[in-house]
Amino acid sequence: MVRLKARYLLCEVCMSERSMLRLLEEKDIFQAVKTAVTTAHGQYGLALFNIGSAVRYVNAYTGVVMLRFRKAHYQLLWSALPFITSIWKQGQRVPCFFNCIHVGGTIRTCQKFLIRYSRQQLFRMLPHCKTEAEKQQVRKAVLSCSLNQLRQDDDDDDNDDYDDDNDDDDGK
Amino acid sequence: MSGAKDRMRHKKMRNQPSNMTYSSSQEFPNGEGSGGSAGQGYSRSQHTKGPSGYGQSQQASGWVRGRQDGPVPRDEVLPKYITASMFAKARAAEVNSMLKAVSKTTGSSHVFGALPKHMRRRAMSHNTKRLPRRLRELADRMLEKSHHAGQKEKKEQSKTKSRRARRRHGNLLLEFNRRQRKNKWLETHIWHAKRFHMLKKWGYCLGERPTYKCYRASYRAMSSGCLLQDMSYYCCLELWGPEEQLMSALSRLTSKDTGPTFAAVLCVSGQREGNTLLYKADQYPHQPMGPAQFLWRPRNAESSLRQLWIWVHPTIKQELLSELQVVCQCFEAVSPPPSETPVEAGPSDQPSAPASSDLKSEPQHPGKKRKREGDGKEDKPAKKILGDGTRSPMTPVSWRSAENDIVINDLSMEIVRYRLIGPLSHAVLTETLLPATNTEIDIESTSSFWWPQHCKNKDSMSLHKQQADVFQLLKGVNSTSELPAGCVLGLTVDDPRLTLPKKRVTAALDLQAAQDVDEEQRRDLTLRGVPAPCAQTALWDQDVRDNVTNNRVLEQEMNKMKRELLVPGSRLPVFPQSRVPILLVHQAGKQQGEERRGWGSGWDLLLPKGWGMAFWVPLVYRGVRVGGLQMSLKHSQNKCLPHFPHEFPDCPAGVRFQEEQEVELLNKFKRRPPAKRTNYIKHGCLAPFRCPWQRLTEEWEKIVKQDGEEGKLQSAEMEGVISQSGEDTPPTSAFTVLRSRKVLRQLSVWSKPSSARNSRVPRGCLPTPLLNTASAMELQAQWRHCLVWVRVCVLGKGLPTLHTMLCVPTAEDLQQLRKDPRSIGPKEPRHKDHLQHLLKRRSKRRKASPQFPASEKDEGTPAAVNKDSSSSSAPKDNQDSVVTSTHPNLSTSISKGAESAVESSSATDLSDSCKEYVRGLWPEPLPSVSSHCSRVTLGWVTQGDFSLATGNGEALGFVSLTGLLHMLLSQPADQRGSVLVRNPTSLQYRYARLHVEA
Repeated sequence: MVRLKARYLLCEVCMSERSMLRLLEEKDIFQAVKTAVTTAHGQYGLALFNIGSAVRYVNAYTGVVMLRFRKAHYQLLWSALPFITSIWKQGQRVPCFFNCIHVGGTIRTCQKFLIRYSRQQLFRMLPHCKTEAEKQQVRKAVLSCSLNQLRQDDDDDDNDDYDDDNDDDDGK
Repeated sequence: MSGAKDRMRHKKMRNQPSNMTYSSSQEFPNGEGSGGSAGQGYSRSQHTKGPSGYGQSQQASGWVRGRQDGPVPRDEVLPKYITASMFAKARAAEVNSMLKAVSKTTGSSHVFGALPKHMRRRAMSHNTKRLPRRLRELADRMLEKSHHAGQKEKKEQSKTKSRRARRRHGNLLLEFNRRQRKNKWLETHIWHAKRFHMLKKWGYCLGERPTYKCYRASYRAMSSGCLLQDMSYYCCLELWGPEEQLMSALSRLTSKDTGPTFAAVLCVSGQREGNTLLYKADQYPHQPMGPAQFLWRPRNAESSLRQLWIWVHPTIKQELLSELQVVCQCFEAVSPPPSETPVEAGPSDQPSAPASSDLKSEPQHPGKKRKREGDGKEDKPAKKILGDGTRSPMTPVSWRSAENDIVINDLSMEIVRYRLIGPLSHAVLTETLLPATNTEIDIESTSSFWWPQHCKNKDSMSLHKQQADVFQLLKGVNSTSELPAGCVLGLTVDDPRLTLPKKRVTAALDLQAAQDVDEEQRRDLTLRGVPAPCAQTALWDQDVRDNVTNNRVLEQEMNKMKRELLVPGSRLPVFPQSRVPILLVHQAGKQQGEERRGWGSGWDLLLPKGWGMAFWVPLVYRGVRVGGLQMSLKHSQNKCLPHFPHEFPDCPAGVRFQEEQEVELLNKFKRRPPAKRTNYIKHGCLAPFRCPWQRLTEEWEKIVKQDGEEGKLQSAEMEGVISQSGEDTPPTSAFTVLRSRKVLRQLSVWSKPSSARNSRVPRGCLPTPLLNTASAMELQAQWRHCLVWVRVCVLGKGLPTLHTMLCVPTAEDLQQLRKDPRSIGPKEPRHKDHLQHLLKRRSKRRKASPQFPASEKDEGTPAAVNKDSSSSSAPKDNQDSVVTSTHPNLSTSISKGAESAVESSSATDLSDSCKEYVRGLWPEPLPSVSSHCSRVTLGWVTQGDFSLATGNGEALGFVSLTGLLHMLLSQPADQRGSVLVRNPTSLQYRYARLHVEA
């Protein structure tokens, strides 16, 4: 297909103070990346950044961010990411760094990776739990997402669900 | 558009995860969620569009986190540490949302959006077979849905039934009954609807004219054959009571001036049907209601009560009914059927009586019946509606008086009335109808039908014999017009369907029969009319009517019996139930004027309801033509009688008719593009769609008064008359139409040229006073604001149309006519459309600067241009242009002051009225209607057409009485009654002669 191809960078924002993660917002991240690119690559980098770059997804609870760049020059922009050391939030400087965990061609592949990655993290977390309560909680979380997966599969087979959705849409 | 786009995007993104952030703007109340214990300090902002599909389960499980109050105290609220469980939950939630995003397809809502691209095929949405089988079912459902979406609006329940089902008898009847709820149908409706252009008028569905070409043929039928009309839409009101009480009550509604009233001797005996004009009680000569036909039942030996039928047009029925209730003091509504009226105190011991009441009440609520059928009670088949289908069963049809013995019954739609017009109508009747035969049989046997019981009575039998003899005598009459006007013949006849000819035949005079008839008896009939007792008929009795109506042999049964005849085509035997009482009423032909006397006479055939089609088809099979409303209009026009709603502009019904006509004509006019319309302003036609009669009469009074003061023609006593008249009558009163016979006769003589008057003196006329100023003034003083109904015959070419102007010719015009009788007549100079300039300028100005008010200064220029043309000039210099406006050769001195007053008043609000100005029409405040053109307007035409009888244009219209007298006085004796006519769409005046019909 003829289209403008993009690369999606799935990054984790790691903050030294975890609680500050809540401040994460789309426009702040965008600004941070922009300044980093400008400092690293100057006007040229800024110009490249201005074409088709976007923040596609932000999760303030897990710190997962999805950035979108053009495929033609994503490497140049990517190279600027390690230079982000802080995010400016309402006049506050929040120290952080970006950890790129995946580079994908579509959002979908990134999502798939994220599922795998998060699950892996959960599994990895389970043996490190210190208290029984914690363990229970984590186990429950793990179970919930795996059970959900089963249910989702069921939904896919059952097409009625789809139809009903449609009806609702018409009603709106 | 954007809405649709949004929806598309929404659909696409509904499964995509949205951003999960702490938003400063949103605030969730604590403990709102189902999680309860977990405060939801967690809020979501959706920076990407689309709903949050993000983890409902996650919210339910809750987060152990404080409530967030706002952006500023964030530091306090934010937790200082995180727990593993929190961390895990955040991960789990994210995974869930991502899972959803990944597993659900994005893209459009189509099924094949889920398909990989390489599996997509052309026209998959059309042909689901191109889809893989697992998706087919879903796609089918989608397809069906999309089909339904288009048809959602239309609820075509009837269309679901096939035509065959819809045309099935029961269903068809239901449908017919439904359609009759709004407008009443006559019994011949289906017959007419197949052949006529139908109109919904006066609450009825009436045939206007046939769809085939028969205008001339219908005229020929009227003048030499027979034309049939269904007049059942005329309403019949029945009055019961002692004769004196009825007379005293009814005399308040009529006046002897207008001709015979209810008390006319011949009519009271029941021998003749009378015509009269009804006024509101004690209001003569003001507030007329309309014409009525009335018929007294011949005196009965047993009862002192008299019965009277008053037939009126449906538009005045309610009015008359309320008026009758007032004059008879009948306010007590008698409860409607089945108890029926107290009138039928006669023998109700007939076994069919309960059935009849059942039948009667049944068709009166078709709506209920339908509903009942809808509920599932299929056992009760639909009944054909007989009579009034729109009336609710609760409406009272009968009123009784508390003080006297008068009872009023509303018999509309109870009696069918057919009108046969033409010299051969009696021949058609004698051929169609057969007086009831074999009266002697089964006298001793009891029967539920009325006729065998009737036969037991010796008197009624002898009467029947007498009536049958008279009816036989009719065969010998050459023309219907030979009979005396309005004579009535009651009769009992066999079912005419029994003698239905196989093919349509043309009725002709039976000369053989004419010779057979005794010459003496025939002369007696034509001179004295039908003897009074013969007018008696059983049709007057309610129970007989009901009996006949309910025991009618259906067409279906008749056909069945015909099929079972041993010899096909032979005549059916007469059934006991197939005797129908009828009433034949003679209708007079043309009685006024000199030429074509007796034209258009005929018979009215009155039948009990339900028998309409049984008589209609046999009549049609006798070769009559059938006419509609158009023909009844032409009939009265040729008969020189005013036609009811059209030529009664002073009646409420006539006013209503005029309003409707105006709207109709105006809409027709507006349908044309402005450039293709007639510019009535240029033609000097002020009121092309509606005649301002009131203005006309008032203006003429003014003109004559001014004339009298200025001219100094009269002697002192004349002035006295004027001043007297000016004092004793109120200055403004509604105009009336002059209907006093005496005055009309006088006018008729005056309006004839002197040579013609010598040749023929009108019969039975008192020696009329000679036309002079004194007598004219006297008449004017007596009859103020009066219109005279006149007939106008065009002398040469020219065809007057609707609202043609009748104008006073000037002295030069008359001289021209005398010199050359074939001269075409003067021409009206073209008027200037001053509003055109106004309109153009307005539009221009609006374009330039809309807020700038219209300046009056530059209006002088167009006015200067059209100064020579006529009085229609620009409003600015109205005052001085008026002087030049009246034509120099205008002999009659018009009241200039009055005119200018009118015009100046109109000029002031001319600019206002320009807003609703229709191009080509004068805006509302009209200038002087009478003296707007070069010839003074006398009146307007209400019916104008080419007369097939005389071969040139003829018109009926009204003129102002004052104006007419004024004109007659100013004309030389041998040219009296000459007028000019000018069509609204032309500038050419034509000479015409004016006749006052009396």
